[in-house]
Amino acid sequence: MKNLFLVLAISALTFSALSFTEGKDITAPQKSNSDTSFEMPDDVQAIVDNSCYGCHNSESKNTKGKMKLKFDKMPKMSKGKLIGKLSKISKSVTKGKMPPEKAVNKHPEMALSKDDVTTLTTWANDFSKKLSGE
Amino acid sequence: MKKVLYAIVILLVIIQFIPANLPEVSLNNPNDLIVNNIDIPEDVKLILRTSCYDCHSNETHYPWYSYVAPVSFLVSRDTKVGREELNFSNWNKYSKSDMAGILDGISEEVSEGEMPMKIFTLIHQDASLSEQEKEIIVDWADIFVESLFE
Repeated sequence: MKNLFLVLAISALTFSALSFTEGKDITAPQKSNSDTSFEMPDDVQAIVDNSCYGCHNSESKNTKGKMKLKFDKMPKMSKGKLIGKLSKISKSVTKGKMPPEKAVNKHPEMALSKDDVTTLTTWANDFSKKLSGE
Repeated sequence: MKKVLYAIVILLVIIQFIPANLPEVSLNNPNDLIVNNIDIPEDVKLILRTSCYDCHSNETHYPWYSYVAPVSFLVSRDTKVGREELNFSNWNKYSKSDMAGILDGISEEVSEGEMPMKIFTLIHQDASLSEQEKEIIVDWADIFVESLFE
């Protein structure tokens, strides 16, 4: 009986430890199919350059950031993919998940003001609607 | 050593009384992705159900040990978070742009091996995806996302 509990306790600890590990090895295949005209106004571009582009570009050393979004690839994205990216930009910025807290702590100038968030999300949402014809 | 064992046993017994609040199971989901998209290929449906639906739908299969603390806490948290991020049972309630974001996420995370989570496939080995199965899901997600806006 004691052994059973010990086994349970050890396995529980192993589970908890494993839930903190993560793995990433394979590169995502990127399909490009240009049927959309990509538009980014100057004010949006300035915010992106200041707060996002550093990690989210094809040459980025931040593997996760590069995997999730590459701004330089957006003009060549297919419509569905592009709308998906715009939706995620809008959400992650609204929820304050991006830029990541760690990055902002290290580089305070990366932080987004409320106006920046509005500018970014308005652009993303409007552009998405225009693409989807909603 | 004995004392430590007793302490562990007592602790394990005590935590059984802390409610884990496992998210509810519902098999009747009129807004479900598969229910509303009968043309999704069978192999895709099978993979989604086997490898994703336990955390990303209301149709969670709880094995017996998911009722035993502390495993129950972990299962409860992962299922809750999983459903919040994406719940296939509520598919038709998402906006098209949300769907697009989700499908893009599926494509990314499956190809990167981030999903299904390692802790899950460790126990549910049938949920683990082969390279071929990953490709099936990624290709489907990439085609399906475009079909939303045709």
